Amino acid sequence: MADSEIREGFLCPICVKDLGTISQLQQHFEDEHSTEDKAVLQQLKGLFGKAKRKILAAIDSDEEDTVDSGPSGHPGSSTAVSQSVDAGGIDPTLWEPQEIGCMRSHTDFFKPIRDARIDRYVVETNKLIIRLDKLVGPDVPSDPSRRKIFEKKVVQWAPDSHVNLCMTCGKSFGIMRRRHHCRLCGGVMCDKCSEFLSFSYAKKLTDPAFKPGNDTPLGIGFRRSNSTSSLNSMMTPEGEPHIRICWECRKLLERRAQQMEHRNSRPVIGQFYEKMRQHMETAEQLIPVYTQAAESLNLGEATYNLADAEEQKRKLVKLYEQIDALSKRISSMGLNDTEPPPAKMVQLQKAIRFHASQFIQENLMGLTPLPTQEQLVQLQAKRKAEIQRKIMLERQATMERQEKEKRAREEKERKQQEEIKRHQRKSSNDVIRVRSPSRGHQVPNKGWMPPDQSKASAATPDDDPMVQQMNNIKHYIKQAKDAQKWDEVHMLEENLKMLQSEFWRQSGFQN
Amino acid sequence: MNVVLAVKQYVTKMVDDSGQGMKVLLMDKETTSIVSMVYAQSEILQKEVYLFERIDSSARETMKHLKCVCFLRPTKENVDLLQQELRSPKYGLYFIYFSNVISRQDVKVLAEADDQEVVREVQEFYGDYVAVSPHLFSFNIVGHCQGNNWVTPALTRSVQGLTAVLLSLKKCPMIRFQNSSEMARRMADNVRQVISKEASLFDFRRTDVPPVLLILDRRDDPVTPLLNQWTYQAMVHELLEISNNRISLASVPGISKELKEVVLSAEHDEFYANNMYANFGEIGVNIKTLMEEFQKKSQGQSKVESIQDMKAFLENYPQFKKMSGTVSKHVTVVGELSRLVGAHNLLEVSETEQELVCQGDHSLALQKIRSLLANDNVRDIDKLRLVMLYALRFEKHSNNDVTGLADALAKKGVSEKLRRMVGAVVDYAGSRVRSSDLFGSKDAITFTKKFFKGLKGVENVYTQHNTLLQELLDQLIKGRLKEASYPYVGQAQLRDRPQDIIVFMIGGATYEEALAVHNMNKTIPGVRIVLGGTHIHNMKSFLDEITHATSGVSRHTSGRRW
Repeated sequence: MADSEIREGFLCPICVKDLGTISQLQQHFEDEHSTEDKAVLQQLKGLFGKAKRKILAAIDSDEEDTVDSGPSGHPGSSTAVSQSVDAGGIDPTLWEPQEIGCMRSHTDFFKPIRDARIDRYVVETNKLIIRLDKLVGPDVPSDPSRRKIFEKKVVQWAPDSHVNLCMTCGKSFGIMRRRHHCRLCGGVMCDKCSEFLSFSYAKKLTDPAFKPGNDTPLGIGFRRSNSTSSLNSMMTPEGEPHIRICWECRKLLERRAQQMEHRNSRPVIGQFYEKMRQHMETAEQLIPVYTQAAESLNLGEATYNLADAEEQKRKLVKLYEQIDALSKRISSMGLNDTEPPPAKMVQLQKAIRFHASQFIQENLMGLTPLPTQEQLVQLQAKRKAEIQRKIMLERQATMERQEKEKRAREEKERKQQEEIKRHQRKSSNDVIRVRSPSRGHQVPNKGWMPPDQSKASAATPDDDPMVQQMNNIKHYIKQAKDAQKWDEVHMLEENLKMLQSEFWRQSGFQN
Repeated sequence: MNVVLAVKQYVTKMVDDSGQGMKVLLMDKETTSIVSMVYAQSEILQKEVYLFERIDSSARETMKHLKCVCFLRPTKENVDLLQQELRSPKYGLYFIYFSNVISRQDVKVLAEADDQEVVREVQEFYGDYVAVSPHLFSFNIVGHCQGNNWVTPALTRSVQGLTAVLLSLKKCPMIRFQNSSEMARRMADNVRQVISKEASLFDFRRTDVPPVLLILDRRDDPVTPLLNQWTYQAMVHELLEISNNRISLASVPGISKELKEVVLSAEHDEFYANNMYANFGEIGVNIKTLMEEFQKKSQGQSKVESIQDMKAFLENYPQFKKMSGTVSKHVTVVGELSRLVGAHNLLEVSETEQELVCQGDHSLALQKIRSLLANDNVRDIDKLRLVMLYALRFEKHSNNDVTGLADALAKKGVSEKLRRMVGAVVDYAGSRVRSSDLFGSKDAITFTKKFFKGLKGVENVYTQHNTLLQELLDQLIKGRLKEASYPYVGQAQLRDRPQDIIVFMIGGATYEEALAVHNMNKTIPGVRIVLGGTHIHNMKSFLDEITHATSGVSRHTSGRRW
């Protein structure tokens, strides 16, 4: 018999035992599992109800007694279930799961307000970048006065006469406070409020393939004015050309630089971390598959291949090693550098490592071990024996049960007959008397003859070939059982059943 | 109706919605305790939250590779701080969740500060209260009133908190309040106002029987917070003080370093969950079983000889370690409790308290209190407890000897500050203030009930006391709570038996009441009750409360010297 056989019959949904008849299964369920799961029981009952109605409808009217006595079968049990539903209150920890509480989102209100501002920034910034591109382009004249003319051509400068106050600090211009123009927007401010943007940094800003280099960290590109010399508006002390801009423009450019940097930067820790999470996810997917296989193998089933499971385990262990290694690297990152990472960074790294080791502990340390090849063989043999033993027990139980049912029924009938006889003495009802002896024949059964029936069958002579055949088969069954050849027993029983039904049919005809 | 679950679901959702990647949780002082009550650190670590920061901390560093989940109360300071944060963001992306209703103006201010486009979400998640147990919440406010009036910030906070509870549980209740308390009336009105103002939020699916919100005032029952407790949770709070699920064992003699502060959380500690409502005696037995189980396991661990053993050891190790932590924690806590019980004659004190409150034989009580006051083992606070209870119980008794007892306290060197409490508690909640029949002497029915109870004898002399709250809830459920004393806000009235009840205690609830509510939930079919308070009191915090309430208010009993 295969290990993963498909079983049919009246199986108990919990212990998968074959119970022969509905009533038996129901009885068994109430006896053995009534405490386990009310829901299953209720469901099962519903199922029984349906099945019963179907079977009752299908079965011959005179065979209805083989099925239990109908819907009123177990009055006690159904009330027992309904009783347990609302006895007393509920522990607050066991209150039914609730949906998540109320929520309200302001995101849709927030975004338009922000986006309106951002749009303005973006338009402004783009304008500045285009101008900047021209101002630091290759055709900028190196001669200061010609450069000024060039710059004026690119950006319309505000006329001096229109502006009396510095647009940043709001102080009035005079002999001591000279007017200066922002080369990007053309606005006028004082020297103190001027910002200076070096050409090299400006080029980086305008370059679409901008990559933040290590040499120019953010903000270094700008320099505040520290001298009143007019030449300074052209050159840094190191001789590099730079341009004068206002505070507003600087802010916009800085914002762009920050965004670009953020978009392009991918810190090392992030890369390691992503890889670690990937491994964790792979492991999380693999673990249930492996556990199922391992458990099945440990039960001696043959659904899974041992070699495959071993392969999976190897994979898992490898993942575990990688996660471990990665998290260790993350946690020790930068610790040996001359400049130790900031405290919060260390805290973050430690937390990640802790998370990883927790993950490993919970998921990978407790992996179900696999049996070795020899163990597997043993387990499978054991399981086979176990299954066969169970089937045998079940079958025996079925037979006993059916006998019991039959005996009970015949007991009932006999009583009925006696009743009728007593009745007859008074009212002499013929119909029932004709009918009653034939009822004893209608029960198909194997191997056991109730006393009154044996009398009845004794009346039919032994030389009936079918009866002889049946007796032979019964004998064989007994032998086969003794020899523990279950397959044969099964086959013989089938034969016997066929013979019996044929026999009853014939005898029915005769009557 | 589970408040712990409600807050937890909020936190889970905000963390999950921010997607994958390393996260930092940015909170304020209050939300930190709100979150810490429902999530263990190791648990939230599994959700990739690696850092916990306070928005008011200056020591934060720029880490652009982190996503920032902000869970903040919608206060002015928080909005200001957040605005600054957004102008120069320290983290890559921001998911902002406010724990209560925030004004549009504030959202606008934030939107205008978000120049760097770092904000992804702005939402309201109403986890604006500390969920202590599934049926118990608190706002951790001490000093909610002065004289007979709310301190305004406390009222605002309480109304916010209570409406958050309603929103997180999706309940739009009918409101009843204690008529004798002006504070209860004000609070009920304010809650009503919020509900009608935010009608769109409170538009939940109607249930057949609407939920009930009952607002009570601590002043009607000043006795419960003054009693010694004998169930695990209540006892720990009374003797060691639980604050946000943490207790400090630093005062325990010879304590090891890792046990100086321990966490008692029913969510994460099975033993505690099973025993938090157990009697002290039962806990002794249970902890013994726990020990034995552990010993069996640890003996199993000790023989690591073969590879097989080692494998088994490794597999069980995390569990083993966890168990050893639990065992040593509870053994220490229970050990300390029983040391205190023994050293300070707590059994005797408690018996006297209970008899004082429940039976009220004046001369017998006085005699017992006198003898305990003379006992040097009894702590000052317990002596004070007895005298305070006596002062409340026999306030109107003709032979009342509060002065004599107060003198006895002074003689024993009890500080002036503590002695003043005897008068203060009568000012705070004496018979002049109380509306209900706390000691059951006026009402004929309760009187006979008590009489019969006396005849039957009591099961446990240390737990005779039943809280007033329990009686009120019982009446409410049976539909017998008098409308004159506990009127509805508005016209609507409840005709059916209430099913979902939220009861709020202005001036703080106690763990004894929490236990009573727990038991009612467990035994009464079809009823779910959630209890809340401005605080969860033990004797010490209750004294602070009384001090606050009575300071700066002219004493009615002036002229008398206690």
